[in-house]
Parts: sequence; structure tokens; C-alpha cells
Amino acid sequence: MDAVVKKIIMEVKKGDQQAFAELVDLYKDKVYQISYRMLGNVHEAQDVSQEAFLRAYTNLDSYDMNRKFSTWLFRIATNLSIDRIRKKKPDFHLDDPVGGTEDLNYYSQIAADEELPEDKVVQYEMQEWIQNEISELPPKYRSAIILKYLEDLSLKEIGEILNLPVATVKTRIHRGREALRKRLRHS
Amino acid sequence: MACEKTKIEQLHKYLDEDMTLLEKKQLEQHLKSCSECEQHLRELRKTIAIVQSTSHVEAPPDFTAGVMNRLPKQSKPDKWKTWMRKHPFVLAAAVFMLLFVTSVSSFWSGGTGSQITVQGQGNFHIDEERSVVVVPEGETIEGNLIVRNGDIEVEGEVLGNITVINGDNYLASAGHVAGEINEVNQVLSWIWYETKSFMSEVVNVFNGSDPPEED
Ligand SMILES: [Zn+2]
Repeated sequence: MDAVVKKIIMEVKKGDQQAFAELVDLYKDKVYQISYRMLGNVHEAQDVSQEAFLRAYTNLDSYDMNRKFSTWLFRIATNLSIDRIRKKKPDFHLDDPVGGTEDLNYYSQIAADEELPEDKVVQYEMQEWIQNEISELPPKYRSAIILKYLEDLSLKEIGEILNLPVATVKTRIHRGREALRKRLRHS
Repeated sequence: MACEKTKIEQLHKYLDEDMTLLEKKQLEQHLKSCSECEQHLRELRKTIAIVQSTSHVEAPPDFTAGVMNRLPKQSKPDKWKTWMRKHPFVLAAAVFMLLFVTSVSSFWSGGTGSQITVQGQGNFHIDEERSVVVVPEGETIEGNLIVRNGDIEVEGEVLGNITVINGDNYLASAGHVAGEINEVNQVLSWIWYETKSFMSEVVNVFNGSDPPEED
């Protein structure tokens, strides 16, 4: 995997722009997932995750080939997501009328495309609910929780992505879990 | 909260398996007697399970195309260089065909620009009007003859080989050819013959000279 990725990167660096599409295909789902979980909105997730690839392309020369490409890429995606959250009005989701952003949700978007059986609807509602709970976390805990439980990354990798010592990553995961527990305990 | 706050941190370390065996044993002992901590741990486990139950989302189908469309436009020379690097053989063939078609078309087309030519030594004469090389009766050609764009009539003797390109060979009953007679009339076989020898050279040239890196 790493050898393949490095070969593609070399080709892109030599000027083969089309080779970059292979990199995008390899990582698009993971990068999109990080952005979507951080932002909770499909349009913003698409915009930010595409922007992340764009940044990766234009800054490819600053990527250290000795390190894992995914770590570098996820770092860009996480930073862009956090920037996007900061630019939003802090109380945006509180004032937003119920249903106002419904069509921007990943699951409702899938659901809109087809008639779904009852159990699927329940499943999607469940997924939406979890996503909403994740979105309620402060961004610094949110990113740690997403990288650990949705991307299955090691503490070391999470530390590299968030540019934090492992001890700090642990603390953030603990606090994130604690915050989620308080909200989910009665469910 | 009746139990000490430090115990909560212990619970998280326990979940992360981030403690010594002794600490682990001590906490497990504590959990047996403290329902509050036991409840807390259960809630944390449930929380993790809920978070992990989210299905993986996938990027929309047009995602990659969207990224590629947003990339800065490459200048033409970059594209050309890249393409050249990826397809050295196709490029070589294309360049070759361009050169070759030009030369072949002038070579093969009759009339102007395709005069009869002869390579070889001896007493033959060229009938330009009929486009025929004639080796007269009684004459002997010591070496080889190569005739392009015309025929050859051998009434005398040829000791070497005769190659007729784009023409015919007529051997009169009195004439004699000691060597081989080759007629190369098929345009395609001629192209094939030339392609084989040319192609290896052209490909070598392009592989040997890598274009300089742009910055
Ligand atoms: Zn206790």
C-alpha cells in the first residue's frame, strides 16, 4: 500500500496531474468521513474534503515521503474542518429551526433517493441521532473521538494528525467519552 | 458523587488498557464493591458501542472528478511532457510515421519526384522514358544492382544480386543472373521492413534522453 502510494506521489510530483486521481480514490472515503463527522453536513463535508485534497495537491512538495501519507492528509482535513467550525456562528445549530438542515444530513440524503423499508428508516434515524450527539462535542474532543472510534487510528497517529502529544490525545478521548456518556446514558 | 473523582480517570485508563496489572486488579476489586463506579464503567462502554455503531459514510460518486476539476490547470507543455513520458513508444511511432509517410509518399508515388535510379557498377543503360534499366546482350555486370522506381531487363549477364524496388524484373531468354532476384513491390511489406529497423532506433533515442524536470 505504502509503496503504491509513494509511486503515485512521485508521478504527481513529476507533473502527472491525472495520477492524483488515484490518490483521491484511495483516500476519499476516509477524508470525507472525517469531514462529515466533524461538520455533520454533507455539503460542507464535500466542500471541505475536496478542499483538503486540493491543499494536498498544491503542497505536495512539503509532504515528507518518510512519513505516512494518510497522516498528513488527515491532518489537512481535520484542520480545515476545525477552521470551518470556527467560522460558523457558535450558536448556529441551536437557533436553527428543526428540519432546517435535515436535507443536508448524510442519511436523510440517502433516504430521499429511495423508498425505504421501516427498519431502514429506524436505522437511519439512529445514525442521525448518533451523528447529532457527536456534533454536540466540543471540536477538540470531537476530532479525537472520530479519529479513534470511526477511523480506528492509533493514539500515536492521532497525535501526529492533531499535532499533540499522546498524553494529550488520551485526555481528549477521556473527556470526549465522558461528555458523550452524560448525553447518552439515559438513551 | 460519593466515590473519588480520581477513580473516573482510572476507569478510562482501564478501558484503554493503559494500566499495570496491579492497578487493574485493584480497580476490578473496587468495582465489585462500588456500584457507582461499576455503573459509570457500564455507561462508558455503552457510549463507545453507540459511537462505533455508526456506519461508515462514503464520499459521493462524483467526488474524484470534482477534485480533479478544481486542481490548478496544467500548462500545455507539462501535459505534453507527461504524456510523452508515459507513452514513449506511441510517441516514437507517431513521430516516425509522420517522417515516414512523407518520405514514402514521395518515394512511391509515380510520376514527378520518383525517377528511376540504379545503384551498381557496369555497362547498363537507363531508358528513362520507359523507366527501364537495360543490361544489353553481351554485357556483364560484376556486382549487385538495385533499381528503384523502374523495371530491369537483363539481356546480358549479372553476377551479383538484383533488387527491384517498385518495379519488375524481366529476364530475357538470353540473359543470366547468377545471384538472387528480389522484388519489393508491396508498400506494406516495405513499410514493415523499414518500420522494424527504424522503430528500435527511434525508441532508443527517446528513452535515452529524458526531458529535463520542470520546476
Ligand atoms: Zn467507586
